Amino acid sequence: MDKLLKISQLKVHFPVKGGIWMRPVATCKAVDGVSLEISKGETLGLVGESGCGKSTLARTVVGLNEPTTGEILLDGQKLGDYSGNFGKGNRKRVQMVFQDPAESLNSRHTVGQILEEPLVVHKKGDQGERASRVKELLNLVGLPLGSVTRYPFEFSGGQRQRIGIARALALNPEVLVLDEPVSALDLSIRSQVINLLLKLKNRLGLTCLFISHDLSVVRHLSDRIAVMYLGKVVEIASAEELINNPLHAYTRSLIGAIPQANPNVHGKFSVLSGEVPSPINPPPGCPFGYRVGSRFYTESIGQSLDLKEFSPGHFVQDCPCCVI
Amino acid sequence: MMRITLNPLTLRKLQRFRSLRRGYWSFILLLGAFFLSLCAELVVNKRALIVYYEGEYFFPSYGAQIPGDHFGLGYSYETNYRELKRVFHQRSEGNWLLLPPVPYDPYEMDYRETDSTGFSPPSWESRHLLGTDKTERDVLARLVYGFRITFAFALGYLFLTYLLAIVAGSVLGYFGGKVDMFGLRLVEVWSNVPFLYMVIILVSVMPGWWGLTWQISSLLLIMVLFSWTGMTYYVRSAIYKEKAKDYIAAAKVIGAGSGRIILRHLLPNVISTLVTFAPFTVAAAISSITALDFLGYGLPAPTPSWGELLKQGVDNLRIAPWIVSSAAGALVLTLTLVTFVGEAIREAFDPKKFSTYQ
Repeated sequence: MDKLLKISQLKVHFPVKGGIWMRPVATCKAVDGVSLEISKGETLGLVGESGCGKSTLARTVVGLNEPTTGEILLDGQKLGDYSGNFGKGNRKRVQMVFQDPAESLNSRHTVGQILEEPLVVHKKGDQGERASRVKELLNLVGLPLGSVTRYPFEFSGGQRQRIGIARALALNPEVLVLDEPVSALDLSIRSQVINLLLKLKNRLGLTCLFISHDLSVVRHLSDRIAVMYLGKVVEIASAEELINNPLHAYTRSLIGAIPQANPNVHGKFSVLSGEVPSPINPPPGCPFGYRVGSRFYTESIGQSLDLKEFSPGHFVQDCPCCVI
Repeated sequence: MMRITLNPLTLRKLQRFRSLRRGYWSFILLLGAFFLSLCAELVVNKRALIVYYEGEYFFPSYGAQIPGDHFGLGYSYETNYRELKRVFHQRSEGNWLLLPPVPYDPYEMDYRETDSTGFSPPSWESRHLLGTDKTERDVLARLVYGFRITFAFALGYLFLTYLLAIVAGSVLGYFGGKVDMFGLRLVEVWSNVPFLYMVIILVSVMPGWWGLTWQISSLLLIMVLFSWTGMTYYVRSAIYKEKAKDYIAAAKVIGAGSGRIILRHLLPNVISTLVTFAPFTVAAAISSITALDFLGYGLPAPTPSWGELLKQGVDNLRIAPWIVSSAAGALVLTLTLVTFVGEAIREAFDPKKFSTYQ
């Protein structure tokens, strides 16, 4: 399979400024050496708890953050030449759906204006063509055509997210980055939006990077799943394999956190407690072993903790305290 | 797709404003007074509204002067319509004319038959409803024309200060970083230049041979130039707050450029906060121009102005108390109304009540 989106050794570090002169006193390693590949038509799920750098990764892919090192290739072409070439040509090929539709839609614009804007910016078609494209998009996401003259706050959360999805699709992107698209929605609406995304993915052959902290949502949509912990990918496998045969201790505890419908059934894995260590001042060894107080933690200090292929297509961080 | 439809949110704010009785009626009153003062020539003027002379109608309120010969008065300078009325009355040949309610001009010195020394007290017979000043100019006429020029001046001031502050504030707030760091220092330095001194110095070196319009517009420019900075801080911080929101990130992902993001996304969301300040800016402009006039560095000499009236009134408090009381009364009334409007707008546009973002 040809790889459409290739992220290699991506690091995104933010300077932490302090003192009177606001000099950088430390760096926050939000994304610290992530390599991912997504094939055409594939959906890669990216899971991890809050603060592990998933959203930073997403924002870097669409160009909202600058990579510190590493590169993002789309079809072999480098994305991220921020000085000039990243401009309109490449940017429209990667679009994004944001987490909270209440904040990602400008409340001063009507739905028509919101959906038309990408077309206006990229000078696509005349007024009539743009209007018919807007109608097409509304049909696609299942909103009434009368929505054109209404404002985002007149819609419910689920409908608003449909507007956000329609906007991201307006330019026929090849890659769609979905940054927790259903986390801000009510549970009852969530499944509707997930079904819509599944339908769109199949109909339009979209390549998606789907980000969520909720493994139960990700497994519905993804072909493969990558698990991220403190700026690093700790395990990648096909969705099936990852759920049924998790190798990394962190993946196990994420699976343990999926709620069970039957209160008498206890999951295979225990639920995790505690906080993610600070990405500004990470522990010297394996950050997960440090958090859970693994007795093998000291062995991980000084190890490179690279991904290793345990079985075909199943990569796990080679860490003495997490893979047992 | 440019349609002029009001955002339902804006509509709700306007409805809320209308429901705040005191502010709403103050607004209507002020707006009405301003529009009335714009056609003050029909209410306060030495020229007649309608003259009927030998089968012909004349409307002398606007346009060129009509010489006295025209109505058989035997002089070639502008007709004195109050005298003409008397003449028509005496001759009773069926000619008539209608004078405005206040038949005086703000520049006109009404020296009547008696050797007047100025300061005629208010009287109904002479139609000087608020008396006259030192040179027998009608106080009411000067108040009305003074209101017109002061209010227009304040609106111009509002527009220009906002324009400068919005441009500077959005550039600083949107680009941030070094632009903000150095730009803001410049703004701070500029804002520390003392306003009153600079205006007084610059006005006093303004060439006297400039026309009145030139002098008034340069005064406006000077005042704007030394006081626009205050609003910049609000614009800047509002832009800072808005640009961190996801709808701006979404616009960037779409590929929108800086200009488009500022004009189409940021400013519409920022402007409602700025509207709240507008009435207070107007009030500040009215008080500063009055203060400058009072000191003698404001509007150039024969222009009717409230500050100049206040000055005369204070100088001649014992002889002519009606001058200071009418000028001060008008000033207090106007500023109170403007403040009421400001309070109502502030309450109606309360962002806590009408935010759509969390």
